[in-house]
Amino acid sequence: MGDDIMSYNGGVALAMKGKECVAIACDKRYGVQNKTIATNFTKIFQYVLFENVSFFLKVQTVSERLRFRTNLYELREQRKLKPLVLYNMLTNLLYERRFGPYFVYALVIGLDPKTGETYVFDSDNIGAISDNVNLATVGTASDYIFGLGELFFKPNMNADELFEATSQALLNGVDRDSASGWGAVVYVVEKDKVTVRELKGRQD
Amino acid sequence: MARRYDTRATIFSPEGRLYQVEYALEAISHSGASLGILADDGVVLAGEKRNISPLLDDVKYSEKIYKIHDDLCCSVSGITSDANVLINELRMIGQRYLLTYQEPAPIEYIVSRLCNIKQAYTQYGGKRPFGVSFLYMGWDKHYGYQLYQSDPSGNFGGWKATCVGHNSQTAISILKQEYKIGETKLNDALRLAIRVFSKTLDTTKLTPEKIEIAVLQHDDKTNQTTIRMLKDDELTALIKQYDDEQSKLEADRQKQQAASTTDRK
Repeated sequence: MGDDIMSYNGGVALAMKGKECVAIACDKRYGVQNKTIATNFTKIFQYVLFENVSFFLKVQTVSERLRFRTNLYELREQRKLKPLVLYNMLTNLLYERRFGPYFVYALVIGLDPKTGETYVFDSDNIGAISDNVNLATVGTASDYIFGLGELFFKPNMNADELFEATSQALLNGVDRDSASGWGAVVYVVEKDKVTVRELKGRQD
Repeated sequence: MARRYDTRATIFSPEGRLYQVEYALEAISHSGASLGILADDGVVLAGEKRNISPLLDDVKYSEKIYKIHDDLCCSVSGITSDANVLINELRMIGQRYLLTYQEPAPIEYIVSRLCNIKQAYTQYGGKRPFGVSFLYMGWDKHYGYQLYQSDPSGNFGGWKATCVGHNSQTAISILKQEYKIGETKLNDALRLAIRVFSKTLDTTKLTPEKIEIAVLQHDDKTNQTTIRMLKDDELTALIKQYDDEQSKLEADRQKQQAASTTDRK
């Protein structure tokens, strides 16, 4: 593992777009360098349910601080957050700590229930913004998963195909990385519902 | 009155009073009324709307009742701009507690913190006090349903039913007679609120545009609190129910009067 703080705990997440659906998946390992401590540490934190859905890679402090800001936004504006707003809030939060950053990479996905427009964004740990991409990965096994993701991705997939593509890319990608794995959790967000599935992969 | 002692907000008068605080209370007594009633299964907050011009744009959610936190809602009486500042502060207090302790803030904590801020303006800084009284309704896992009132002096108290603002004394005396401790359910509370407002509002006829009512209920099974503003049709139904009761009472009374006059003959 070496000295790299970003690979200290390990873990990985992947997000992919389909037709009026988006999926985000993460592994469940929580470890300290090469020691695995827990195998139920999902890194996905849900912000708003059903109206404008946005998901995000969780590390406790960042997610709690983001929740502080999103709660105040919703109280003052009297409406739910849009995915792009959440993403901008998050990147702003991360950049505030430009010279003493949070050690977290972020993925935000969202779906507008009225228009069906899908959003997938990722960010580095100081809040560099990305475009709305088809596929995004973060984590220690991100390169491996990205390759598989590119292979399995087709434009305009429906929810089931999207689930298959996302889960296969993640499960097979983490097998190449010792710091990720121990199963996966996949959230598929559609206009009217969110489906959560837990997958059992190689338990090593 | 010793006028010289009014000019500084943070000075006592010779009689030991804080005039600025009293003037603030006076400002509040001219503003729209806010009424709160605690029921066994929920809490009701009602507000008398003053801004009812048809030219008003429909964007704002509500004039008097604001959500502070998941299980706390408050109603405002007094200077609206002062209230907006304090409501923002209330929301921040709630979120800071949530950030530190990862659980919703107890109602009394939030009220108490805000009242400390309000009190500071009566003692330091040379600034005037906030001209707002709040009624807070909420639920927490420590004490269940609660109703609090806070005023410009920074004092607060828990209540079973209370009123602030215009004609609040009349409202409180009606509440004292009619509120039944331990036997009030949400529907009774709503009917009581309408009854009180019909007597205290300046208008002859109560209409849904002049009042807003919010109801807070907590579902123990799902551990969720819902804060709901009553819609126009629900308000109309409640008002109609009250009107029907009144006309029935009136009709009974007239019948009795007619009966008694015939007896006398």
